[in-house]
Amino acid sequence: MTGYVIRRLLWTVVLLFVVSLITFVIFYLLPSSDPAVLRAGRNPSPEVVAQIRVQLGLDRPWTVQFAHYLGRLVLHFDLGHSYHNDASVKSEIFERLPATISLALGALVVWLTAGIAIGVISAMRPGSLFDRLAMGGALVAISAPVYWLGLVALYLFSDDFGVLHVFPGAGSYVPLTHDPVRWFASLIMPWCVLASTYAAIYARLLRATLIETLSQDYIRTARAKGLRPRRVVLRHGLRGAITPVVTAAGVDLGVVLGGAILTESVFNIPGIGRLAVDAINDADLPLIQGTVLVGALFIVLANLVVDVLYAFLDPRVRYS
Amino acid sequence: MPKLSVVAALVVSLALTLVASGCGGGGAGSTTVTLNRSVGGSGPAKRGGELTVLSVEDVTSLDPGYWYYTYDYQALAGPTQRQLYGWKPSDTTPSPDLAASMPQTSPDGKTVTIKIKPDIRYSPPLQTRTVKSADVKYALERTFMTSVHNAYSPFYYNAIVGSAAFRAHKATSISGLQTPDDTTLVIKLSHPVGVISNGQALALPGTIPVPQDYASKYDEHDPSTYGMHQVFTGPYMIANDGKGTITGYKTNRIISLVRNPSWDPKTDYRPAYLDKITLLGGNDIDVASRRILSGKSFASGDFAAPPVNILRSALSTRRDQLAIVPSQGNRFITLNTTVKPFDNVDVRRAAAAVIDRNTLRLTRGGPTLGPIATHFLPPEISGFAQAGGLKGTLAFMKNPNGDLALARSYMRKAGYPSGRYSGPPLLMVGDDQRPASTTAQAVRSQLEKLGFKFEYRQLSRTTTFSTTCGDPKAKVAVCPNGGWGKDFFDPQSLLDPVFNGEGLGVGSPDWSQVNDPELNADLDIAAAETDPVKRARDYAEIDRTVTSRAYVIPWLWDNQINSVSDNVRGVVNKFTVSWDLSYMSLK
Repeated sequence: MTGYVIRRLLWTVVLLFVVSLITFVIFYLLPSSDPAVLRAGRNPSPEVVAQIRVQLGLDRPWTVQFAHYLGRLVLHFDLGHSYHNDASVKSEIFERLPATISLALGALVVWLTAGIAIGVISAMRPGSLFDRLAMGGALVAISAPVYWLGLVALYLFSDDFGVLHVFPGAGSYVPLTHDPVRWFASLIMPWCVLASTYAAIYARLLRATLIETLSQDYIRTARAKGLRPRRVVLRHGLRGAITPVVTAAGVDLGVVLGGAILTESVFNIPGIGRLAVDAINDADLPLIQGTVLVGALFIVLANLVVDVLYAFLDPRVRYS
Repeated sequence: MPKLSVVAALVVSLALTLVASGCGGGGAGSTTVTLNRSVGGSGPAKRGGELTVLSVEDVTSLDPGYWYYTYDYQALAGPTQRQLYGWKPSDTTPSPDLAASMPQTSPDGKTVTIKIKPDIRYSPPLQTRTVKSADVKYALERTFMTSVHNAYSPFYYNAIVGSAAFRAHKATSISGLQTPDDTTLVIKLSHPVGVISNGQALALPGTIPVPQDYASKYDEHDPSTYGMHQVFTGPYMIANDGKGTITGYKTNRIISLVRNPSWDPKTDYRPAYLDKITLLGGNDIDVASRRILSGKSFASGDFAAPPVNILRSALSTRRDQLAIVPSQGNRFITLNTTVKPFDNVDVRRAAAAVIDRNTLRLTRGGPTLGPIATHFLPPEISGFAQAGGLKGTLAFMKNPNGDLALARSYMRKAGYPSGRYSGPPLLMVGDDQRPASTTAQAVRSQLEKLGFKFEYRQLSRTTTFSTTCGDPKAKVAVCPNGGWGKDFFDPQSLLDPVFNGEGLGVGSPDWSQVNDPELNADLDIAAAETDPVKRARDYAEIDRTVTSRAYVIPWLWDNQINSVSDNVRGVVNKFTVSWDLSYMSLK
């Protein structure tokens, strides 16, 4: 197992290098904004643009820029400075990570809890009224764009302009360390909105796999032995059916940790997703690189954790 | 004038009405849009309280030497700093702020003398120091430093004697900036500069004082880090640790303004009613607009108007929370004069004639968004009336709904007997975000009536600005989403950047690639004119010239629509066309 993990971590380094290279190449090959011109402001003189180009190092070939970038990253863990405001990319990312982690982990708890509960109950009573309502509702949740759902949630429940004045609205996020109660309250709506689509997908996924699992011979044997139905489902059926859900959860958590752009935008949560959008708008390559690398790192690590979890969940899985 | 009466006068007298003409055929009719610069009622303003300003983006920089965008002015320059000359909310001419009086210009126009008030102090940690003329001299020098990246000094300050040598690092200071004593600044010019003599270019943030001995260590960095350590002279300051480091700023998230303990109201015309102002960035415009209109103690920041659906509803139910003001800017379509067939003036006139400007205006929200443009200079800018006023003078700009027959006649005159273009497809680059993308689609379909075929690309605004329409090498034939706003109320700041080919380069707003030596010379002559009447006449003549040559097709003189919560008394400053935070108060 240890050897397997080490090999995967080494591959992670290779993957991050490739991701970084691709980001650089895309930035230079596809139509993009010129950061020097953007930084120079309204109606810049050619001299000012040229000065900024030199200051940002954009006068050098992209291969040289990439080599410098990698050198700084590997030797000093330095992600560079923003083209837009010269802020340290590392600081910007670390400042915003807590918000994104808060959003992602809280949403994960909501979508797993809701998705698994609905999936199990629906699988135990397929075709029942609950099952039909739940699966119909899941389709609606999957179809609803997160941005729209966020707006609707704010119009209904936000305490400033909502109809019901229940939860703190957009821009209310505070870090956990500042005020845990306000932190929790400010994230209730974003968690629910972000989790809704995932919970719906997971409910449908778990329902399908659990129904299939419950028709297996070993489940029949368990029932024949006289085990109570709840124990059969939760102890034997769910353990076999949950593997695809864990796989999906790993990937999805990695993606959300890379930045839940729309949720962060609607609720004005200062996370990695919004940082990435701003960076793209400003043609801010160092910041784009930083956010892309963080996103890729989370996805890779989340997948690794999932693969390791398999060994505990499924006795048939062995890593050598 | 006592400050309260200034506000009362504003509240009572600044509502004005402009008839946005929808003249011409096609049933456009006429639409009356009531403009107002203040909301929230009259009577004495209440002192104290906190206002929250919601914006979509952030300020561009913390460095006063860099500030060049409206939101920089609204959020920082206005409330936290003092320039040589400032802008009272209802004025279109600057008023002395740091300066004790208006500039005194010598008869030959080449020496400008400015007296500075002696008793203006800096915020902590320099609270014991008063502003001296040498601080303004250093501030002006900073605008030429490579570490500050100021964009406007090459246009407005380049006639200062010695500035070229300073910029080229051949001199350690600008010889044309002299300080015979602590309260006198003398500016020596190589030739007369109208916008320095009339104070307009001295009412830019480049004249915010910067104490050299304090700031120079920060200016050694490239870019300068002075912004994060700046000292303030205005009624407010960004919250800081009192030792010279700003603590009240987080990129694209928050700017926290608190009262500046060194500010003396007796030296200032600004009332500064509020105790605290918080500016929150990164908002979704839809959510922000609803929070402002339905919440308490909010004001709009950097966006020109609420989204169309919210605006429509607010106009009928919350009109008293909206201030609709002319932006003193315009929107236009650019036709690249270096790309065939737009090198032919009659083809350009045909394009101008066929454009249905009423429809284009509807793509942004209709008549509330401003009058249809008939020439380049917008209302409230000197020269506007002389250039044709609201109605304009040109036949091909007469019908706001477009005139296909007239357009075809111009095409025939240009050598297209069928009245339709018959050449290869042309490159058009439009914005990818609504409502600009909708406008671009409308322009495309309207020009196709004349047989034009397009290779049409939708790109982000920043890409359009920096690497396609804004890059002469890209040879983009048509850019439907052009627009420009003033630097100040002088027509030079509108016409020169867009039409003076001497400044042509990447990032230039001269997207039509106009570079006519005769026109350049006319622009240079007008820029040197110091008599305001002659100056307005000269620029009006230039406006008539560029409009008749159809380098661009102006279609809208924008209004800006600012919004506040119902417990806020808002006052719009004509200069920034947005809320003047130093005049705002809570009910």
